[in-house]
Amino acid sequence: MSSSLEQLENHLETFIENVRQIGILVSDFQPQGQQVLNQKLQNMISNMQEIDKLRSPVQEVHVPLEVFEYIDGGRNPQLYTKDCMEKALAKNEQVNGRIQSYKAFKAGLLVELSHVFPNEMNRYRAVRELSDIN
Amino acid sequence: MSDQLFAAREMASSTSSFSPKSSPRGSRSPMAAPASLPRHDSTGTLKMTISAGKHPAVVNSGPFYLMKEPAAETELTGATNLMGHYGLEHSYSKFTGKKVKDSLSSFLPSLPGILDTPAHLTNSSLQSLIEKPPVFKEFVPLNHHQLAGFRLQHGPLPEQYRFQSQPEGTRRHRHQKKGDPLTPSYDPQSNNDFPLSSGVGLTAGSAGGVVGGVGVAGSGDGHEKKPHKKKKNDDERKKKKKEKKKKKQRHSPEHGGVGGGSGGEGTKVSL
Repeated sequence: MSSSLEQLENHLETFIENVRQIGILVSDFQPQGQQVLNQKLQNMISNMQEIDKLRSPVQEVHVPLEVFEYIDGGRNPQLYTKDCMEKALAKNEQVNGRIQSYKAFKAGLLVELSHVFPNEMNRYRAVRELSDIN
Repeated sequence: MSDQLFAAREMASSTSSFSPKSSPRGSRSPMAAPASLPRHDSTGTLKMTISAGKHPAVVNSGPFYLMKEPAAETELTGATNLMGHYGLEHSYSKFTGKKVKDSLSSFLPSLPGILDTPAHLTNSSLQSLIEKPPVFKEFVPLNHHQLAGFRLQHGPLPEQYRFQSQPEGTRRHRHQKKGDPLTPSYDPQSNNDFPLSSGVGLTAGSAGGVVGGVGVAGSGDGHEKKPHKKKKNDDERKKKKKEKKKKKQRHSPEHGGVGGGSGGEGTKVSL
């Protein structure tokens, strides 16, 4: 997979370079450059054919749609990865906080209920232990 | 009176088992099941459990109402450091440690052109490509008649239509001092932007004209890396050597007296 991606990247670079050369050639066109321009146009089509052939090996690569929003906005797509990781970490910390809060609440509730309903809490603990064993 | 009593007896006999069928709520009525559940009670008293409906959401499993079985504990919860669990700590430190630049051009430094403008302004967005994918069958090389449509007139294009490899504000002048903060890797002898020197069959006349155009466009790409190794342009070398000679000739009578001049010359880009 990595080799096919590298190959695709190389072909894309070649294609972009070819298009850039066409742009420079056309910027200040000379009559002698017509043959070169025609050759470069054919090269462009052959590059596109090669890129099209490399489509199938990278079919399994899934790109999140939100990345395209970053790219279309002229932003670095690595910022999307960074934002995702930061959000994941923040959510992880939030859920951990909830878990710790619920644990503390449970412990406090058991203590207070034991003070108020000692017999019932003893029976509750006995039932829980029995269900845990089962 | 006797009719009422008869009706009451009928009702009592039909509802002696507290059937939910006779209840106005139907299946939602609680059912009495005296012997359905074992009771952990040694007092010998008869106790009944009441469950709601035929398929109750809460099944009485003990002496406490609404007591459910505890949820099955999973190994991976939010209490775990998920970054460490999935081996992403290094990636996280890489992205958060050093500052990631905001612009797209910093991610793709080797690409020519202006990348940082929003795509919707130029109708070249990836979103539009996904929403309306181009319809085509196959790529076919152009034939002679199709190539005839690409016959161009000679002469330079207007400034607004010219190929720009870099935004206007960051274009560099040809003669650049060393240690320029904006282009630390700029090397005028790198000749990355002289594509026509890489094996394209040009005549001498066209080479001179096109190279001139390339030189104008190439001087602005100081920040580009060298993705491909290219041959150096001999014409450019000769031009630069001539300019160097001219400068030496200009400064030679002042070389002994003016130390600043020689120092200044030393700080210029070596050609």
